[in-house]
Amino acid sequence: MSTQQSFAAAVAGDSPPPPRRARESHARSWNGLGVGFLAKLGLMAVINALGLAAVWSAFVNGAWVLLGAMVVLLVLADWIYFTRRHVPLKYLFPGLTFLAVFQLFTIGYTGYVALTNYGTGHNVSQEQAVDALLSQNEKKVPDSPSFPLTIVRQGDALGFAVVQGGAAKVGAADQPLELAADATVVDSVVTAVPGWEVVPKGQVLSDAVLADEVLALRVPLTDEAQDGSIRTGDATIGAVYRSVLTYDATAQTMTNTETGVVYRATDEGRFVADDGTALPVGWKVFVGLENFGTAFTDDTYSGPLVKIVLWTFVFALASVVVSFFFGLVLALLYNDPRVRGRAVLRTLFILPYAFPAFLSALLWRGMLNANPDYGIVNQLFFFGARIEWLDDPTLAKISLVMVNLWLSYPYWFLVCTGALQSLPDDVQEAARIDGAGPWRTFRSITLPLLLVSTAPLLIASFAFNFNNFTLIYMLTGGGPRFTDTSATLGHTDILISMVYQISGVSGGRADYGLASALSLIIFVVIGVISALMFRRTRQLEEVN
Amino acid sequence: MRKTLFRSAAVLAAVTMLAACSSGGDTPAATTAPAAPETSAAPAGATGSLTIWVDENRKPAVQAAVDIYNETNPDVDVELVVKNFEDIRADFLAQVPTGEGPDITIGAHDWLGSFIVNGVAEPVDLGEKASQFESVATQAFTYDGQMYGLPYALESIAVVRNTALVDSTPATWDELIAKGKEAKTKYPFVINTNGTTGDAYTYYGLQTSFGAPVFQQNADGSYTNEIGMGGDAGLAFAKFLGENGMKGEGHFSTDWTYDVANQEFADGNAPYTIAGPWAIATFTGAGVDVAVDPIPSAGGKPAAPFVGVQGFYLSSQSDSKLIANDFLVNYVATPDVIKALYDADPRLPAMTSVAEQVASDPIVAGFLASAKQGAPMPSIPEMGDVWEFWNAAESSIISGSAEPEAAWTKMLADLEAKLG
Amino acid sequence: MRTTHAPGSVMARNARARVRGRRRRWFAEVSWKYVVAAVVVVYAAFPLVYVLSASLAAGGTLTGSTSLFRSVSAENYQALDATRFWQWAGNSLVVATATAIGSVLMGAAAAYAFSRFRFSGRRTGLTTLLIIQMFPQMLAFVAIFLLLLSLGEVIPVLGLNSKLALIAVYLGGALGSNTLLMYGFFNSVPRELDEAAKIDGASHSQIYWTIILRLVTPILAVVGLLSFISTFGEFILARVILTSESNWTLAVGMYGWVSDQLNANWGLFAAGAVLAALPVLMLFLFLQKYIVGGLTAGSVKG
Repeated sequence: MSTQQSFAAAVAGDSPPPPRRARESHARSWNGLGVGFLAKLGLMAVINALGLAAVWSAFVNGAWVLLGAMVVLLVLADWIYFTRRHVPLKYLFPGLTFLAVFQLFTIGYTGYVALTNYGTGHNVSQEQAVDALLSQNEKKVPDSPSFPLTIVRQGDALGFAVVQGGAAKVGAADQPLELAADATVVDSVVTAVPGWEVVPKGQVLSDAVLADEVLALRVPLTDEAQDGSIRTGDATIGAVYRSVLTYDATAQTMTNTETGVVYRATDEGRFVADDGTALPVGWKVFVGLENFGTAFTDDTYSGPLVKIVLWTFVFALASVVVSFFFGLVLALLYNDPRVRGRAVLRTLFILPYAFPAFLSALLWRGMLNANPDYGIVNQLFFFGARIEWLDDPTLAKISLVMVNLWLSYPYWFLVCTGALQSLPDDVQEAARIDGAGPWRTFRSITLPLLLVSTAPLLIASFAFNFNNFTLIYMLTGGGPRFTDTSATLGHTDILISMVYQISGVSGGRADYGLASALSLIIFVVIGVISALMFRRTRQLEEVN
Repeated sequence: MRKTLFRSAAVLAAVTMLAACSSGGDTPAATTAPAAPETSAAPAGATGSLTIWVDENRKPAVQAAVDIYNETNPDVDVELVVKNFEDIRADFLAQVPTGEGPDITIGAHDWLGSFIVNGVAEPVDLGEKASQFESVATQAFTYDGQMYGLPYALESIAVVRNTALVDSTPATWDELIAKGKEAKTKYPFVINTNGTTGDAYTYYGLQTSFGAPVFQQNADGSYTNEIGMGGDAGLAFAKFLGENGMKGEGHFSTDWTYDVANQEFADGNAPYTIAGPWAIATFTGAGVDVAVDPIPSAGGKPAAPFVGVQGFYLSSQSDSKLIANDFLVNYVATPDVIKALYDADPRLPAMTSVAEQVASDPIVAGFLASAKQGAPMPSIPEMGDVWEFWNAAESSIISGSAEPEAAWTKMLADLEAKLG
Repeated sequence: MRTTHAPGSVMARNARARVRGRRRRWFAEVSWKYVVAAVVVVYAAFPLVYVLSASLAAGGTLTGSTSLFRSVSAENYQALDATRFWQWAGNSLVVATATAIGSVLMGAAAAYAFSRFRFSGRRTGLTTLLIIQMFPQMLAFVAIFLLLLSLGEVIPVLGLNSKLALIAVYLGGALGSNTLLMYGFFNSVPRELDEAAKIDGASHSQIYWTIILRLVTPILAVVGLLSFISTFGEFILARVILTSESNWTLAVGMYGWVSDQLNANWGLFAAGAVLAALPVLMLFLFLQKYIVGGLTAGSVKG
C-alpha cells in the first residue's frame, strides 16, 4: 500500500518533477511494473479460473454454443492482456464483452424473430402445437359422469379401477373396462382388486415417470372406439373422453374422426383443411422476408404515416433542444460562485430525476386535466380556465414536450455542469479581456466547446426520444385520435407506438414477427440519421 | 485529502469487482449439489415440486391453500412466485413454450382465448365439483366444451350509493338522475370515463340495457365473433351517451378519471356512482357509508355489466400435471380455500356455498346481485382488438367532439375492417 | 465618520463607493438568479407535492383532487415496515452501486482508448457504440429471458433471478453514451501530460490509472451518478430477471403496488417513492463537490 501511494504521488507529480538520474527512473518503473503486473496477473488468474470452470460446466451440460462463445472470449482475453500489442483493446475488451453478450443478443434475437411468424397463434413449436391440439380436442363425452378412480398395476401394465353406477370395474389400455365383482370398494373407491396390485395415489404423484404413464393411459369403455375411453387428470377422478382429432406424424396431417376432414400442416405453421378452415393452434415457422414485405405494403396505415413521421422528428428534436438548453442555462447560471447555497439549489433542481419516471407521466396526466376542478395546472396558472391540454392536437403536442422537459432537463443539467468544468478558463478570460460581452463569450466560446463534448449525447438523446414509447403511452396514449382514418392512431403517436398498433402488441393478437421487422426498419432509419449527424460532429471537433 | 479519497474509492471498486467474481465462483458448487432424494418409506402424499404464479394481493390466500396442501403432501415443494398481475399474461405466453414457465398461474378468464390459440393452457377436469361453482364462472373458463382452469372468484361492477344522501336506487336511469338531483350535490352521478381515453368497461351495463352486447351470443351464452353493437340498439346507446355527455346534460364527462370519479364520490359530491368492489375501501376510508345496488336500465332492457372471472390456469408444458391437477381440484376447490382467497382479496367467491356464506355482508350481496345480472366478458381473442375503437368512440361522443351516430357508425365499420 | 475630516476619509469614501458598486453589481448579476432558482424549484418540485400529499394521507387517490394535504399522518410510512420495502431498498442499492461502479470503470477505460490511441476503426467503433444503444428494445423481455435461461444452465450465478445477472445485463449497456460523454471530457485533458509521463518511463496503464483518471473526476462522478439513477429506477429488465420477491429492486416492487390501477395502493407507493428519492438526492449532494469544485484549475489546464 505505501509503495503504491508513493509511486502514485511520484507519477502524478504534484510538484514539477526534479531532474532525475537514470537509476531512479529505472527503480520507479520496476516498482510500477511490479504492482501493476501483479494485479494484472492476479485478475487474469481469477478470470481464467472462472472461465475454465464455466467452459467445463458448458461441456458437461452439452451447451455447445455457449461453450464456443466462452472459449473464444477466454482466448481473446488472454491474448489481449498478455501480448504487448493491441493496447486499445486492453481498455475496450471488458465493455465490449458485456455489450456483445447482452446487447447484441437482443438485436440478433429480434432479427431472428423478424424472420418468423412468432405471435398469437404461432407461439409454440410444432410438437407443442400438436400436443395442445390433441389435448384440446380430446373431449368429455357429453353427459359423461365422473367416477372415483384407482390406479392399478398388473406386471408392467397399468390399469384403472373405477366405480361406475355402484359397480367396480377394471381395465387397461388393451383391455376394455369389465366388471370386477370381487373387488373391495370402500366409500365408493376401489381399494383392492384380485389379480391387480393397487398403486397408492401418493406413489403415482411421487414418481414423475409413472405420473406421465397415468396421464397418457386411456382405458377403452368398450371395444367400440367411438364409445370413448376413460382418462384421469389427477389420479382420483376419471371420466369418459373421446378424441376428435388423430395425428399422423409421417403425413403431417390431423384428421377429425367425426367429420372425416383432413387438416394438413402448411408452411405458414398451421393445420389447414381443403376448404380453408384451420385448427386454432399454430406454431412458429420461418417466413423469410415476408414481414418486411408486409411492413411496406400494408396501406391501412399509409394515410397517417406522413403526419406521424413528421411528428416523430419534431417531438424528438424539440424534446432534445428544449431540455438541453434549459439544463445548460441552469448549469451556467448556478456555476457562479457568488450564488450562495448552490449545493442545495442544485440538489433541488434534480428532484424530477429522483422520482420514478412512470409515476411522473401519470402525475402530469392528472395535473393537466382540462377541468380546473381536477387539473391543478389550469386552476393555479391559468385562472381556472378550461384548457384542454391533452385533448387538443396542438396543445397535446406542447404538453408532451413540456412534460418531457421536466423529465429530462436534470440530465442535461448534470451533464453540462460536469462538462463546464473541462472548459479552459483562460480562453474565456482572454475573450473577456478582449472586450467580449458575456453573451458573445457564451455564443462563440462556451457553447461551441460544450457542444464538442455533448454532441454525441444530443444525438443519443434524439434517438432515445425518437423511440420514447413509454412517455407517449402513459401521457396521451397517442391521442387525440385522428378522425379521418380507421387506424387507431392519434396526433401524438410516434413511429414506435405505431408499430405497437400495427403489430397488435397493444391489442389481443400480437404479431411479434411483424413488430420485430418494423422495429428493425426504425432502427435502420434512426441509425443512419445518427451516423450522419455523428459525422457532422466530427467536423465540429476538427474545427476546434 | 481528495486524492486519498479518490484512490480509496478506486481500491474499493477493485475489491468489489473481485468479490463479485469470487462469489460467482463459489455459488455453482453449492447449488449443483443435488438434494438427497427421499427413497425410504412409501410416501403418503406426493413428491415433487410446483411453481405457482400469483400476484401480491392474493399471495397470502394461495399460501394458505399451499399450507393446507403441504399438511398431507409435505414432500411437495411449492414455490409461489409473486408477479405483477398485468405481466402474467404476456410472460405466461412467452415462458410456457420454453418449458420454464410455472405449473399453475392465477389469471383472468378473458385471457383464455389467447391461451387456447397459443396452446399454453391444459384442460382441467373438475368432475362432479363443477356443479358447486356458479355457472357463470365455469362457463367463463370453458372453451369448446372443455374447462381450462379453476375459477375461484367473480368481479363485477354495480351502482354504489351514498346512503347519507339517497335512500334507494331506482330501476331506471331517468329516475336515478331525478333522485340524484334531489340530493342537491355537485353532481347527481359520477362515473369513471378514464379521462379522454374512454372506458367502455364501466359503461357496459348501461350499454347492454339498450340490447347492444359487444359480441353476439350463442344460445349457450358463449360469444361468436360477430359484433353485436350495430343496428338501432347500438345507435340508441350512442345517442344516449351524447345526450348525457358534456354538450348535453353533463352526467358523463371525459374529465373524470378513475381517481377523480372516486374522489368526487368519496367527498360526497355525488350520491351515485358505478364502481367495483375494489373502490369500496376508498369510499369507506373517507367515511362514506355506502350501499350497493344493481345498475339501472337506461334503454329498457336489464343492465348486464361485464362479469370478470378470476381463476387458476394449468400450463400445458408442466412437468407435474398430476400434482398440479390434484392441488387445484382437491385442495383449492374447497370451501375453506375459496373463503381464504375471498378474505385476502374481496372478490366475490365463485363457489356457491362460499358466496352464500359471505353474502350476509350487504355490500357483497349487492355486487353478487349485479354479477348475477351480468354476462361474462368475452374471452375470444378478438376482444383485445375491440377496446381501442370502442373506448375512443365513447370518449368522443361523451366529450361532444363527434356526432353520436357518425362516431358509432365509424367505430362499427372500423371494427368490421379490423376483425375481417 | 461624518464629523471627522481626517485625510483617510477620501479613502473611506472610495471604499464605500466600491462597496456600493459591488452591491449594485450583485443586484444586477446575482440577485435575479435567486428569483429564477425559486421558479425552477417550484417547477421541479410542484408535481411531487402530489406524491408527498398522497404519502401523508391514509388511503385515497393520487390525482383525484386539487385540494392537497387534507389529512396528515405517518400511517403509510409505518406501513412500509410490514412490506419488503427495506429489503428491496437494499437490493436496489447493491445493484445500482455495482452497476454505477462497473459503468464508470468500463466506460472510462473505453473512453481512454478512444481518446488516446489511434487505431483503425476508431471512429466507426465510436459511432457503432452510439447506434447500438438506439435499438428499440421491444422484444428485450423475451430475448433476455431466453439468454439468461441458457446462461443459467451453465453458470447458475448468471441465470434468472440473480442480482449478479441483472448487473451484468445493465453493464451490457454501460458503453455507449457513457463512453461518448467521457470521451469528450478525456479529449479536454491536454495530451502533453501523457507525453511528459511517457518520457519519464510511465506505461499506458500507469498514465491511465494515476494521471488521467484523477483529472477527469468530475465526469466520472457524473457518469456514476447518471448510471446509479437510471439503474435505481429501471424496472422493465429487472422484473423479467428477478423472479423472486426477495430479490426484487425497489422499482420492481413499488411498480407492483400500483401497476394494477384498480388495486393501486397509492399511499404506500407515494411514501416509498419519497423515501426512495432520498438516496439519489444524498448521492448527488455528496458527489457535487467532485463534479463542480473537483480539482485545482491548474491541473486540468496543464
